[in-house]
Amino acid sequence: MSRRLYALLATFIGLAFALPLLWALSSSLRGGSEIFQHISRLSWETLVPAEPTLGNYARLVTGDFGRAILNSLIVALVTVAAGLLISSAAAFGLSAVRFKGQGALFAIVVLSFLIPFDAIAIPLATLFRDWDLTNTYTGLILPGLGHGLAIFLLRQFFLAIPGDLVEAARIDGLGWFGVFARIYLPLSRPALVSAGLTLFIFQWQSYVWPLLIGTDAAHQLGPIALANMRGQFTIDYGELFAGSIVLTAIPLLIILRFQRHFTQSIATTGLK
Amino acid sequence: MTSRQQHAEDRTAALAGHDTAGPRVRRRTAAGRVQEAHRHRRTQVGRPVLVSLAFLAPALAALLVLRLVPAAMAFASSLSHTSLVTGETSFVGLGNYATLFADPTFLQSVRVTLLFSLIVNPLQIAAALALAVLFTRRFAGVRFLRVLVILPIAVPPAVSAAIWSVAYRPDGLLNSVLSVLGIPPQPFLTSPGQAMWSLIVLLSWIGVGYWMMFLIAGLQDIPTSLYEAAAIDGASAWSRFWHVTLPLLRRPLAFVLVANTVSNFLVFAPVQMLTNGGPQGSTNVTMFDIFTRAYTVGDLSLAQAEVMLLVLLVLAVVIVQFRLLRGRD
Repeated sequence: MSRRLYALLATFIGLAFALPLLWALSSSLRGGSEIFQHISRLSWETLVPAEPTLGNYARLVTGDFGRAILNSLIVALVTVAAGLLISSAAAFGLSAVRFKGQGALFAIVVLSFLIPFDAIAIPLATLFRDWDLTNTYTGLILPGLGHGLAIFLLRQFFLAIPGDLVEAARIDGLGWFGVFARIYLPLSRPALVSAGLTLFIFQWQSYVWPLLIGTDAAHQLGPIALANMRGQFTIDYGELFAGSIVLTAIPLLIILRFQRHFTQSIATTGLK
Repeated sequence: MTSRQQHAEDRTAALAGHDTAGPRVRRRTAAGRVQEAHRHRRTQVGRPVLVSLAFLAPALAALLVLRLVPAAMAFASSLSHTSLVTGETSFVGLGNYATLFADPTFLQSVRVTLLFSLIVNPLQIAAALALAVLFTRRFAGVRFLRVLVILPIAVPPAVSAAIWSVAYRPDGLLNSVLSVLGIPPQPFLTSPGQAMWSLIVLLSWIGVGYWMMFLIAGLQDIPTSLYEAAAIDGASAWSRFWHVTLPLLRRPLAFVLVANTVSNFLVFAPVQMLTNGGPQGSTNVTMFDIFTRAYTVGDLSLAQAEVMLLVLLVLAVVIVQFRLLRGRD
């Protein structure tokens, strides 16, 4: 096949993948009555709003949906901060000093975190209800903290830090926590970024858990607010699309910003 | 730590690209390592374990509370039955499992899940592989077009379900695309025969770009000299793909296949938002069946028994993944 044929095929496929998002973006810029007007007959107007308006986005700022997006941000960012601390400490424990049985311990930690979280969300929700953690930020954040992949990524990176460096620091009188905070963490920025991305995406995309544990308006997360909107009698499609675009744009910008680390983190997953 | 383990770790780190991105590692000689190990043993008997455990404590606590305890609870609960009349809980052994396997709804959800897996996994992997091959060719605009395919991975499942639910409406985007092609309007989500296919298209839109990224990484690791050698030997494009590309892509392919299988066993948001398991139970996959059993029917014990079956199934798939990846090296 010729190069031009490949390019044609790839263009067609690329556009097919982009079409739903482009359509959501253009619909989010339309006034209320205009949304379905241009769908039934496909034309350039299906994808380009004649009079683009930011009204739908303005309604997001004031409504429950805006609150939900803010909640999603809070939950994801706190998860990244606390999760990185826990995961990097664990990775340090699994790499800085060596002892017998360490390999087995590492396998247990990573394997247990591989139990798919969504599958055990229902028993965990029962437990969290007993502990009065429903409709609290703590309840929403906790499950995102332990992540096998984050620990795995960080440990791989930590293993490459030379033992001589640690030994020298120890001789200079630095405690183990000092070695962790002043040598390992500053040296590991790329790995911390990959692990942080993993934690962020996990929380940002989660659906089953917030559906079980965050049901009141004050603790709803973005995806749940979106799903609830569809259950109402009159759906504000403009707001639905605007919300969809915001919920997509935030992780997209973060992924694009840290693209190299993202590819690295998923490439490492393949070696698990 | 044996030198073989050490070697394996070095290799993994190198494969992960950490040799270039990570801190510079000064290669230590084998003799130096042995000496160091001796020194460690003399001065710090017993201590490394305590230091390690102190740092590991928060993660171990999270693992215990967030994974192992709920799994154990689900197991315990799956062996008991709470009477709706008296509210008393009694031990019923494997009774709940027996009830499940006699329940037509459960059996249908198993059939639906297996059928869904059998269709969706090969389809997505084949599509991801074809796209990976296409997007590692060189032509104008290839990088940009590749980004368009990868774009949907940033879309949370609930968001893609919301967008596609509007697209699948009778007066939605898809029917208008079909009408341009001269195809009459389709019922999509309201038809028992089309609902699952509609979900498969939606899930592939999200997933294929993601799996493609792994396969592209794998393709780029194959040395071009191998292709040149094969070309000199007069191998056709197809036999080069069959005898060079596929064997060398075994590891990423195995990983992608198993990880995809696991994630497709856990599909929930699109089912709940688009079809609610219907029409006529045609999209009642296991995750959704568990959810309905627990919160609509209200039989938590039965639901937990089903959770246990799902966890076992998924763990089995994960173990196969480890086998496939560690297998022939």
